[in-house]
Amino acid sequence: MIRFLLRRIGQFIITFLAASFLLFAVTEFSPGTVASKILGPYAVSSQVDLLTEKLHLGDPLLLRYLRWLGIVAGVVENPLGDPAIGLGLSDPRGNRYVGNFGYSLMLKEPVVDVVGERIGYTALLTLLAILVIIPVSLAAGVAAGVNPGRPIDRVLSMGAVILTSLPEFVVAVALLLVGVVWLGLLPGTSPMTQGGRWPLSLQLVLPVGVLVIASASYVLRIVRASVADTMRKPYVRTALLKGLKRRDIILHHVLRNAMIPPITVILLQINWLLTGVVVVESIFAYPGVGSLLLQAALFGDIYLVQALTLLALLVAVGTQLIGDLCYLALDPKIKLG
Amino acid sequence: MTRPRDHDYLPILKRDLADGKVSRRSFLRTATLLGLSAASAYAFADKVTGVPSEAQAQDAKPKGGTLRISTTVYDVKSPAIASTTAHPLIYSQVVEYLTKTGADNVTRPHLLKSWEPSTDLKTWTLHLRDDVKWHSGRPFVADDVVWNLTRLLSDEVGSSVLGLMEGYLLNSVDTGKVDDKGKKIIRHELWDPKAIEKVDDKTVRLNLKAPQLAVPEHLFHYPAVMLYPEEKGVFGPGAIGTGAFTLKELNVSRNAVLEAKPGYWGEGPYLDRIEFIDVGGNEQAIVNALISGQVDGAFQILPDFYPLLKDNAALQYYQVTTADTSVVRMNLKHKPFDDAKVRQAFRLAIDPVKANQITFGQFSTPAEHHHVSPIHPDYAKLPEPQRDVEKAKALLAEAGYKDGVDVELVIQQNPPHHLRNATALTEMWKEAGIRAAIKVVPNPQYWDVWMTAPLGMTVWAHRPLGVMNLALAYRSNAAWNESAFANPEFDKLLDEAEAIPDPKARSARMADIEALMQREGPIVQTYWRNLISFYDKKVVGFAMHPTYMVFCNELAIKS
Repeated sequence: MIRFLLRRIGQFIITFLAASFLLFAVTEFSPGTVASKILGPYAVSSQVDLLTEKLHLGDPLLLRYLRWLGIVAGVVENPLGDPAIGLGLSDPRGNRYVGNFGYSLMLKEPVVDVVGERIGYTALLTLLAILVIIPVSLAAGVAAGVNPGRPIDRVLSMGAVILTSLPEFVVAVALLLVGVVWLGLLPGTSPMTQGGRWPLSLQLVLPVGVLVIASASYVLRIVRASVADTMRKPYVRTALLKGLKRRDIILHHVLRNAMIPPITVILLQINWLLTGVVVVESIFAYPGVGSLLLQAALFGDIYLVQALTLLALLVAVGTQLIGDLCYLALDPKIKLG
Repeated sequence: MTRPRDHDYLPILKRDLADGKVSRRSFLRTATLLGLSAASAYAFADKVTGVPSEAQAQDAKPKGGTLRISTTVYDVKSPAIASTTAHPLIYSQVVEYLTKTGADNVTRPHLLKSWEPSTDLKTWTLHLRDDVKWHSGRPFVADDVVWNLTRLLSDEVGSSVLGLMEGYLLNSVDTGKVDDKGKKIIRHELWDPKAIEKVDDKTVRLNLKAPQLAVPEHLFHYPAVMLYPEEKGVFGPGAIGTGAFTLKELNVSRNAVLEAKPGYWGEGPYLDRIEFIDVGGNEQAIVNALISGQVDGAFQILPDFYPLLKDNAALQYYQVTTADTSVVRMNLKHKPFDDAKVRQAFRLAIDPVKANQITFGQFSTPAEHHHVSPIHPDYAKLPEPQRDVEKAKALLAEAGYKDGVDVELVIQQNPPHHLRNATALTEMWKEAGIRAAIKVVPNPQYWDVWMTAPLGMTVWAHRPLGVMNLALAYRSNAAWNESAFANPEFDKLLDEAEAIPDPKARSARMADIEALMQREGPIVQTYWRNLISFYDKKVVGFAMHPTYMVFCNELAIKS
């Protein structure tokens, strides 16, 4: 097990380095220089040139990448935080520390602080959504899967197909129309600020609702298919012929064997919820990682995009690792090789 | 202490208002520009025209409460490099400008008591108010002004104020060095060591190298706030200013909280607290927040959402006609735009009224291809430009393009109306043989090429005087001359116009400039935007400002 984990960490470091270099190279072709983004479009060229010179932005790509890597590793000082440059950027941890991803060009704050605050909100949204998605989709999926072809299966499966096919923004607009415009029971946005008319709990209802509808219906279909498939296995038939109760067969034999595909899908959903909820967060102005990624990409905030992309990589690798460990727990025949 | 002498032109201006030769608005704008206090100018105008000013008609405003406004909450650590009109919404409540252009497009002294231009408009004496103190208790003095202006004009700071004042306060200096691309490294310095001169503790004199009429307007350019020198140009929560509020909390891209500062020298504040809330730049989210009462008002609302909000009983609609626009500008360094006939053909192939209607409908007014708006006091009315496709074709043929031309029009992704305008223009151009492909690029990419692309569409913000935009965008070698337009006749006319305080005489000169722009200029311009917003009806004292400014010290909330 330890060898397996060490190998996975080694693979992650190699993937991280490759991805970070690719990102660095791709951002070479992104519009706007770092200096022009800091000073804005109306700075004259002499001002932009001076800042470019101070930040050594004219150095070759490889040198700049290595310098950036050195800054992340805490070996090299970040020049953007130098008070002599006069940009007013400051980091309470100083200009040299491990995990220094620099400053967001858009927000003029240390990337670590910006992402740290946003990931907290995204984690909250993910947790609340998952707490609803897992029980709802498992219960409904199993109910449909153990009754294939019956009315309960048809209703649940048809409902899930319709909801899965609706884009998130359509669900969001429909919920806004009902909850905000017609009934006036919910706030129209979820900036998660206190002091106004709407408490934080009510600000969470609509974004969580949209995520649950978008995700639970999909997981339900996977659970239903897997359960229905398992119900046709010879060992289930044998158990039935042996006279075991249907409830015991489902709980002890079907569920455990039917859970491997849904776990993969649920872990992929967590991956998406933590780093890819761009549409829902933007529509509801929710201050999470997804809306931040959209803003950073539109602005061309290189350092922030890099940090968020590497965060997505970390989450993807992490959920994959958890998935592998879950498979092992569910099916001892699976070997970690 | 002797009273500053009135400008020589003031008596003539007063007589012209009495004789009905200048409008009330022109009188107010020019009289205050020439150093007459706003109160005196309004009093004189009220007396002569018999129309009472709005300020006098206002009821007493209630005190207390929190106002929530939806806007993008940017980092404002360095107001000097603010690059959008949303930046000052936060810091201008704490640190203030020497002057203030109101929602009525009239510029008045603010931290200044008055200003006094010389007859040749090359020397501007700025008199500071006696009653202004920093939040630290120290009086606001001339050294503060000199420190701030000098700082704003240095290359190191990177402020857009430099580009604005370069023409009359700075010299460009060739350092003799070249960068790694072989480009000359140019620096700037004050054209004269006494260009920004402290006369005494309450007086500063600007000695210009060229006449300039718009100095007071330039002092209201959004990065030009007076920062507390002891804080070395850095702004943030707890920063010291002269304003009616203090910044308590700033969470970039989330919210900013300001609290009233007792003992403000000017009007108000009536509110206890202001909160600026960022809903992420999603226009629909701003509307949703307004509908559900999460915010009391919005920085701006796109006209697309007007039908959704206009019948909402809780909201009040505000709009202002502005000189905010976008121009399709042709860069003269590239063919075929080096030929004036081609540029004129691009204009003749367009029906500005129709293009304006397609772009904005009721929320704009047609423009006339010369970048001077009917709301500018120096605007001259010319015959409306007419579409003439045959003449456009003939001009293209004369220029050697009898089969028409193929061009690429680069536009920004946002705002979305750029694409509507570009589509309208390209469809009209087709009939004249101008085949334009629209290239939509992300906004940052556009700002990379805005000075160099052969054909692009650029946003130009509202400025109170027509001469201001012309000087920034079309004077030879101006800092923001994106079209590389270099026309000695234009420069000469503009120089003359900038030295004329009389709006009638200046508009006569502007007629020549506008005609030259329509004949040889580098732009196709079809609309002037109205800015619109909605505020909760309980908010008192709001007026939509042509540059989105909100003066929170004047706002109150009815219980």
